[in-house]
Amino acid sequence: MVNKGSHIVRQLFMSLSIALAGAGLVWGITTTRGGDWVKTGLRFFTGEGAGLALSWKLDGLTVFFLCILLLGQGFSSLYALGYLKEYEEKKKSLWPFYANWFLFLGSMFGVLLADDGFSFLFTWEMMSLFSFFLVLYEHEEPQNRKSAYIYFVMTHVGTVFLTAATLFLYTKTGSFAFEVWADAVPTLTTIQLNLVFIAFFIGLGTKAGFVPFHIWLPYAHSAAPSPVSSLMSGVMVKVALYLFLRLVWLTLGPGPVWWGWLFLLVGALSATVGILSASVQLDLKKLLAFSTIENVGILGMALGSAFLARSWKNDVAMDLALIAFFWHALQHMLFKSLLFMGAGNIIQATHTRNLERLGGLLKRMPKTGFGALIGIIGITALPPLGGFWGEVILFQSLWLNTSNLANGWSKVLLPLFSGVLALVGGLSMATFVKWFGISFLGQARSPVAERAKEANPVQYITPILVSGLAVLSVLWPAATLALIDLPLSVLRNGTAVGIGSSIGKPLNMSSVYLIIFSLLTFVVVILSKRGNRRVTATWNCGSPLTPSMQYTATGLTKPIRILFSKVLGSHREVERDFGETRYSLHSLGYEGRIKDVFEHIFYRPLIQGVLWLASQIRKLQEGSIHLYLGYLLITVIVVLILGR
Amino acid sequence: MDESLMILTRLMMGIGHLALILVAAPLLQGLIKTSKAFWQMRQGPSILQPYRDLRKLMKKEELISEHASWIFLLTPRIALASTLMAALVIPNAWGWAPLNGWGDIFLFGASLGLVRLFSTLSGLEGAGTFGGMGSSRELFVGLLTEPALLLGLIVLAFMTQTTSLQGITTELQSISPILPPRLLVLIALGMVSIAEMGRIPVDNPDTHLELTMIHEGMLLEYSGPSLALLSFAEQIKQFLLLSLLAQIVWPSGLISGSNGLLALLGALGFAGIKVAVLGLFFATVESFFVKRRLFLLPGYLATSAAAAILALVSLWFVRGQI
Repeated sequence: MVNKGSHIVRQLFMSLSIALAGAGLVWGITTTRGGDWVKTGLRFFTGEGAGLALSWKLDGLTVFFLCILLLGQGFSSLYALGYLKEYEEKKKSLWPFYANWFLFLGSMFGVLLADDGFSFLFTWEMMSLFSFFLVLYEHEEPQNRKSAYIYFVMTHVGTVFLTAATLFLYTKTGSFAFEVWADAVPTLTTIQLNLVFIAFFIGLGTKAGFVPFHIWLPYAHSAAPSPVSSLMSGVMVKVALYLFLRLVWLTLGPGPVWWGWLFLLVGALSATVGILSASVQLDLKKLLAFSTIENVGILGMALGSAFLARSWKNDVAMDLALIAFFWHALQHMLFKSLLFMGAGNIIQATHTRNLERLGGLLKRMPKTGFGALIGIIGITALPPLGGFWGEVILFQSLWLNTSNLANGWSKVLLPLFSGVLALVGGLSMATFVKWFGISFLGQARSPVAERAKEANPVQYITPILVSGLAVLSVLWPAATLALIDLPLSVLRNGTAVGIGSSIGKPLNMSSVYLIIFSLLTFVVVILSKRGNRRVTATWNCGSPLTPSMQYTATGLTKPIRILFSKVLGSHREVERDFGETRYSLHSLGYEGRIKDVFEHIFYRPLIQGVLWLASQIRKLQEGSIHLYLGYLLITVIVVLILGR
Repeated sequence: MDESLMILTRLMMGIGHLALILVAAPLLQGLIKTSKAFWQMRQGPSILQPYRDLRKLMKKEELISEHASWIFLLTPRIALASTLMAALVIPNAWGWAPLNGWGDIFLFGASLGLVRLFSTLSGLEGAGTFGGMGSSRELFVGLLTEPALLLGLIVLAFMTQTTSLQGITTELQSISPILPPRLLVLIALGMVSIAEMGRIPVDNPDTHLELTMIHEGMLLEYSGPSLALLSFAEQIKQFLLLSLLAQIVWPSGLISGSNGLLALLGALGFAGIKVAVLGLFFATVESFFVKRRLFLLPGYLATSAAAAILALVSLWFVRGQI
């Protein structure tokens, strides 16, 4: 009977969430306008003029990211409608989930709307807190508690930097308003400006998942329930990137050239490290989380190219880089949601996240598999889907940036980033062929995979809806570009945007490509329909084929693991126990491990340093009464001197 | 009325472009096989053998592994269609490509990337070891070739100030053929093409031994029409890479103003000869080398990427921009 009630509650809450998202999107489409859409403030404690104002603003930049948020919210809620059923069956209370779900969404909404430092920090902290609770929802697993803890610590390290920068700007200007900050930026010295930039970079970069501040992301994103993972990977990291535009691009201004290089470099590092770590992962969801780091890296590179073009006054390259940024942000949200939903379905069907135990799922879960296949084509940036076109624009922007430079070594350095991007593309193909191929194709590698059943209808319909939207965004690029036009005009200080003209026009190629490609495939399928087909066993040199003869997830990307062993910190130990001669083997043990290089090189010493400092400080308080009397004496003397 | 006529003309020209490639690709394969047979001092098959093979396979019964899903049958179709998409950006004998806008140098590699995605997935379909081995190696080679291919094409784009392959071949006609960066790019792209065509020293197209094969490993489970489509796609890919290289070595197109039928045929013949000579060259190269171990390939492909980077540096030096 309890089940029945909670059933209704679940449908009610998730429908509410979908309805809110839908209403927001409809309102957005019907009220499109330029400039500031809405600007409002709430005033508190307004005694003597210097009250605390919480101000909110809705402009084109916010609207674009709100659109991503609402789309993500709508799809994840629809998916959660089916996904949460399992918790009901396990009799786990869903009330904390609902509460945190809405508060998390609401706080992201708040971050996007915030127009001053105080409301920003306030909503930002709420966002961290409620996502932390959501990560901790399945707290029965010790692994999840550890993940949530790492997330909590890292997000606060980031917030420290943000608070420092905010308070510094407040003391300089006496105001929290972003506009006032922007006006005061020219009065700052170069060092102050750069320090504020670095503080923002670390603070926001931690949330976005830039390397080397990324270590929490794979833990937290994979520990949360799948609808939450899709929100965190698809939307929350975008919120952090939005703030780069709001606080750095719009508030701190153009800045020196090295800001652009920093974005480009950190972006390239994040993309490479993210996808390399993903390629050797065996955990279904952790792999996706690492790929989020990769995509954040690509977005960071787009930002870098935009910043560089801005400093070099190359308007076309800047527009292209920004279009690439917004396009990719939208597409990544769609594809990452698809993949997390696919992963969620697999986890509910098999109760394992280990790739080595999956296999042959496409036959048992065909509809889930279809959504996931669309997802991997999109995320590996292959045509005809949207992931590819974003990268093409980014390539073009980097190319234009380089060829318009008069001279200098930058002309050699910049194209190398295109090479990095290509390497990342190749690695991501290997990663996702592994993710999809090992779990969905071949034979089942364990009894749980053999018994897997297709998920609830709503859980495979949602991914298919998302795929539909992804295809539509490519088939009708004009609509996507019109959406991108909104933030672009804000970033260009409201000047005319040539998106409908020379820059945007070649993007129409995306629909042409998709149409020609579909037609060609159709023709080939029709023409090749002949002859008999017979189902037989796989050829295996005459011996029977067992599931363990398949390539494993580890084996598939083993060459990558060997080639990049220095970067990945992978190492192997083989234990051989020989018999009488070296030709007869009693037993053979093999152990391969991947250690997180950044945790090892960067964070371990840091943590050890902090612990060492703490133990030194502890010596101050050793429980000796004489020592405390001594402290009292010193205090009295100091007070007397000061109060003289 | 006028505009629809233009679109119709372009459509017909595009179909003609693809038809030409479809017809020529097996012929090139036959030529390469014949010349390899010459170097191996044996009587090779007829130059028309690839056509006969394709026809024979199309008529045969198809065996499908019991473990395979619908992706197994979709792959050959996607592979052919996507290879043809790559063909749309390669300028033909008359220097024209059906898709010619900015950024189509990226389209070429990416369309071939889609083929790679599907064929590596299908390698895992049969649940056997050979397929997985082929997929694993193909992914590895793929991630190594992609940066070199892209960097090489980007350097050409810098050289000619356009990111469209059609524009690149047009512009290259006015650039000295022995310009150092151009030669270096040629080395880079030549090495990449060997890897992409699946030829020695990267892969051996003629064996089905587990130790040596990459591409054939993935195709092991295929038979009948599907195998025909996959081999056809591979032959087209080889033709595309060689005609791209040919256009870089000696770019040619239709000189405007001489639009007679004779000029059209002349350009076609010239392009045919160029591609054939390159085919003979690569067959010869293949006959004189041995296949290398898988873990020697990173060095080989890094050389190619390094050549592309050197080309970039030397380009700016030649232009006096560093």
